[in-house]
Amino acid sequence: MMGGICSRKQNQPVIEDGVCRAVSRRYGKSSSSKWLTNSSFRPTVEQPPGGAGTCPSLLELCIYKICQSIDKYSSFSMLPRDVSQQIFNELVCSNSLTDVSLEAFRDCALEDIGLGEYPDVKDSWMGVISSQGSSLLSVDLSGSEVTDSGLALLKGCSNLQALAYNYCDHVSEQGLKHISGLSNLTSLSFKRSDAISAEGMRAFSGLLNLEKLDLERCSAIHGGFVHLKGLKKLKSLNVRCCRCITDSDLKTISGLIDLNELQLSNCNITDSGISYLKGLHKLRMLNLEGCNVTASCLQSISALVALAYLNLNRCSLSDEGCDKFSGLTNLKVLSLGFNEITDACLMYLKGLTSLESLNLDSCKIGDEGLANLAGLTHLKNLELSDTEVGSNGLRHLSGLKNLESLNLSFTLVTDSSLKRLSGLTSLKSLNLDARQITDAGLAAITSLTGLTHLDLFGARISDSGANHLKYFKNLQSLEICGGGLTDAGVKNIKDLVCLTWLNISQNCNLTNKSLELISGLTALVSLNVSNSRITNEGLQHLKPLKNLRSLTLESCKVTASEIRKLQSDALPNLVSFRPE
Amino acid sequence: MKKEDTVKLISAEGFEFVIHKDAAMVSQTIRNMLTSPGGFAETEHGEVTFPEISTTILEKICKYFYWNLQFASGKQTEFHIEPELVLELMMAANYLHT
Repeated sequence: MMGGICSRKQNQPVIEDGVCRAVSRRYGKSSSSKWLTNSSFRPTVEQPPGGAGTCPSLLELCIYKICQSIDKYSSFSMLPRDVSQQIFNELVCSNSLTDVSLEAFRDCALEDIGLGEYPDVKDSWMGVISSQGSSLLSVDLSGSEVTDSGLALLKGCSNLQALAYNYCDHVSEQGLKHISGLSNLTSLSFKRSDAISAEGMRAFSGLLNLEKLDLERCSAIHGGFVHLKGLKKLKSLNVRCCRCITDSDLKTISGLIDLNELQLSNCNITDSGISYLKGLHKLRMLNLEGCNVTASCLQSISALVALAYLNLNRCSLSDEGCDKFSGLTNLKVLSLGFNEITDACLMYLKGLTSLESLNLDSCKIGDEGLANLAGLTHLKNLELSDTEVGSNGLRHLSGLKNLESLNLSFTLVTDSSLKRLSGLTSLKSLNLDARQITDAGLAAITSLTGLTHLDLFGARISDSGANHLKYFKNLQSLEICGGGLTDAGVKNIKDLVCLTWLNISQNCNLTNKSLELISGLTALVSLNVSNSRITNEGLQHLKPLKNLRSLTLESCKVTASEIRKLQSDALPNLVSFRPE
Repeated sequence: MKKEDTVKLISAEGFEFVIHKDAAMVSQTIRNMLTSPGGFAETEHGEVTFPEISTTILEKICKYFYWNLQFASGKQTEFHIEPELVLELMMAANYLHT
């Protein structure tokens, strides 16, 4: 229960992901994009096509049928490549590919082998994988037990463009040599791999087509950048959380002038290291979160004319030297969260009129500082959580008509000041998780009918306040956990049919009646009604919620065995529940 | 049904299936053949020959077309596929973008 309450900042957008989409994860052109768009999302319960209400194609139905009786097939090599690729993807998606069924894919000329985080992938799988030969374009073996000898088999896959081998502990410096000849590689990812030493990186020196290199959390790469010097096409380098990386390493890559994305967060880097980057005129994104830099590095950063994304979160910046921000007029995204900066610094952001996203989380800024943001009319995202912003500040935001996301959690804003937001009709996401916000505050923003995400976690919303929820028909996620809601208030939630995520925990007077009321919200994926009077008898009302994947009913009179029964009877997609 | 509302699908063995145009249009491939302005013979005669699709498979495909239309109108039943047909049917479905 406490976990749910304390983890208030888990859903913050991480802008660093997906800025550079030049190199996509999947390479095959023929395969349908709806499969396996994200390897980390792999449902454990297989759902037949069409389950979600859209009509499955005949091809999908056939593929599903084949996967159901996969043991009957010994080879798919006579099928067109794009069809066998889709069967392969579906087996991976549904977690039903085994070393036995894999054998049917020998010599199928598959283009994509996406087995990242797939269980039990080991050297014995590599024979079939490498049999795809020159057709193979991308391989993801992240989290597998594949060793040097398995990696050696990829040598023959000469057209390989993307290789991901993250979190693998079974490869050695010696094993890396096997990939040194794969000169068509454009993307290489070895996150958290201790085998990647400075010497091991020598294997990368001949990969002249490499555009994207990901060595996040590798602990032994200090000194290895010398082997990247010749990789003139390198556009993206990620060494987040590599504490071993120091200023001298940046000196080594100062000639890679095609770099447009550089992720250095939590590296051991100072202002002098940043000065080596001055010549990177194509750099669009620079992430220095948690580095040992000061505002003095802004001098060097000013030379980066193409820079659009700058992350300086958690750098212990103070106001001193912040005047240099005024020159960074091309910035679109600026993150300054968790620094010591005050209103005095915001003065220098006034002219950054291209800004679309600004993060000032937990900075020492207040109402007066916000006056400097009033002209930043392109802003779409503004993060002001845990600041000293209060009632007098919001008037400065009234003109930010493009604002789509605004976080005012743990600020001092009051009910009466919220009417200043009533004209921000582009808002999709609003966080008002603050104890002093009440029903009157909710009443003040009923014009924001486009909201899809509304967080009133700690706000004191009662049943009469819940009446205003009827204005927010587009809500996909809603949190009201202030304790004041009863079954009567939940009546106003039952018509919010777009909701996929609902948290009404901590309202200790809610009963089974509430579950009955929301039983029509069939789009719900996640539901939390912890710390209420829900009992086992109420669980029956959840049966229509076929899309439910997460159910949390901590501190209720509900038993794990009854939830399990509900899961097996009616909720096949439920993968996470409390109590368990 | 009126002739202009129908289309004739002909299997490899020469067997003819006359079905509603709406149903046939479930297939993206057939839709393109019937609607593209290039003056395909198919467009003019409302007739499409599939030299590589057997009668059994083409019949199954026609059944799917109608099943798809029913599904879209809210009648969501299961579409049965005989295990022995599935590979051939899949290749045809792939060709027909169905």
